Amino acid sequence: MTDQDGEDRTITAEGMRRTFGAVPAVDGVDLHIPGGRIFGFLGPNGAGKSTLVKILTTILNPTGGKATVAGYDVERQGGKVREAIGVALQDVGLDPLMTARELLVLQSQLFGTSGDEARKTAERLLVTVGLDDVDPKKRAGAYSGGMKRRLDLALALVHDPRILFLDEPTTGLDPASRASIWEEVRRLNEDLGMTIFLTTQYLEEADRLADDIAIINKGRIVAQGTPDELKRQVGDEVVELQFAQCEEAEQAYDALARIAPNRQASGHELRLYFGRAAENVPELVRALDGAGIRLQGLTIEQPTLDDVFLRVTGEALEHEVDEAGDGASGSPAPEAASATANEEVTS
Amino acid sequence: MSDILLLIGRSLKNALRQPATIIPNIAISVFFLFVYNSGLNSVAQLPGFQGTYLGFILPVSIVSAAVGGAGLAGQTLIKDIDNGYFTKLLLTPTRRLAVIWGPMIASAIILTAQVVLVMLLALVMGLKVAAGPGGFLLVVVLAFLWGMAFAGYAAFMALKTKNAAAAQAATFAFFPLIFLSYTFVPKQYVTAGWLKVAATINPTTYVFDAMRSLLNTGWSASSLGVGFAVTFGFATLTGVLALWAARGATKLAS
Repeated sequence: MTDQDGEDRTITAEGMRRTFGAVPAVDGVDLHIPGGRIFGFLGPNGAGKSTLVKILTTILNPTGGKATVAGYDVERQGGKVREAIGVALQDVGLDPLMTARELLVLQSQLFGTSGDEARKTAERLLVTVGLDDVDPKKRAGAYSGGMKRRLDLALALVHDPRILFLDEPTTGLDPASRASIWEEVRRLNEDLGMTIFLTTQYLEEADRLADDIAIINKGRIVAQGTPDELKRQVGDEVVELQFAQCEEAEQAYDALARIAPNRQASGHELRLYFGRAAENVPELVRALDGAGIRLQGLTIEQPTLDDVFLRVTGEALEHEVDEAGDGASGSPAPEAASATANEEVTS
Repeated sequence: MSDILLLIGRSLKNALRQPATIIPNIAISVFFLFVYNSGLNSVAQLPGFQGTYLGFILPVSIVSAAVGGAGLAGQTLIKDIDNGYFTKLLLTPTRRLAVIWGPMIASAIILTAQVVLVMLLALVMGLKVAAGPGGFLLVVVLAFLWGMAFAGYAAFMALKTKNAAAAQAATFAFFPLIFLSYTFVPKQYVTAGWLKVAATINPTTYVFDAMRSLLNTGWSASSLGVGFAVTFGFATLTGVLALWAARGATKLAS
């Protein structure tokens, strides 16, 4: 359970539940995260990600179940847990009247560091998150969204935590800010051996960063494994068929039931999962021709986590954000337009 | 202890960065002092009146400063909750008591500074403190404790309502207490029975009594004893209520 240096960096949860009124936000979650890993917790808005983070970071009591973080019980040893973890929640927690240095020095002192040491830590972390060249008199309230995120991350690091919780750290950030957070997360994990618990609604983020992934939907974990393991569950290769109309995609979904039992339709597209895709292409084209369905395009690719997510939840997750936009505009595929053949998938 | 000191320091610094949150309260206290002292000072000519009217009316100005200034604690907490900093503090090993009492003590310190200013102004206006410098100091201590009591109440309301306007309104709801007492004339001149009943059950009366004895008549063990007991009791009650509200508001695990 402990790492080579004797420090416990694990996170466990057994039967974790949290209800708000009669609504279960987290509904029986089990987790066993070994130390030193980047764990991606993936799910759409309202899936229960933030609620679970709040429970694991001691600011929300669970309704049932048991969890330990860094070897300490989150309900009975909250103080010990808080000493071991750093947390950057989805909503940044900054006092807008204070400067970055003031916030970092105070945060550091609240973790028991002396004034001089706290000032050194503040300077070091400002460099780490790339805020060292900002006007020192500028108050946090005047920072841009990306700068606030980076400062919030720095606040989570003042005491060199063993475990870092990042709740949707890049939601709403521009691509450059997102890339810099990803780089920092990797560095913290590789250089310091920090366990990182990262929630995200971006598949690309989970795929690029996480060693292990759990997919949560409606409060329950619906899939868990490494990104490759999860992708293999849907098949080794994917044939993507593109159609001009959604109706054609739906007709094709029915027409290809025998040839491709593992398939998912979403909008104008149909994705078919095979062990070896190329061998099946001629038969696919013939079947579509026979059914009078006009094909617009065909590509063969590797499965993505989106395929996994669609398969296990029956819904498409928000896609990665636009390249130059504000980053918060990922639009979920309409539920009505997606259909799955989950019941036919064998893994 | 150091976490409380750190959080008091932070709240003080923030308050000084927003003088607009402090100045109106001082202005109201000074306004009360000038208006009532100049308008009603002939009360001191009544037979049996002890001391000066300035010494009699000064506690009204002080207590109104305490009640008005205490709202700052509630506002600080609500702003912290709104901008997420409250949660950030709860994620540190800082004691919950420090997170709640930091802003409370800071607002009590600020209103104490206001009270000292108003008292210095009264000295300039000719006030002679009957109990001397020690009496002056005790009036300041009483004002601080009374401020703590109201800061606790403001914090309690802030944590319960999580709404800045509601918390501020709740503080102002206590303003009538200042006037449901022997506010402008001593007890012996009040004839309305209902006001006598209200004044007897109103804790503000005992704070006025303690301060007035120090300012106008000298040391009085009974006035001071009752005044401090009422103030301590009230401050303890609201301080505990604020902590209780904090536990509920944050669903703390420990």
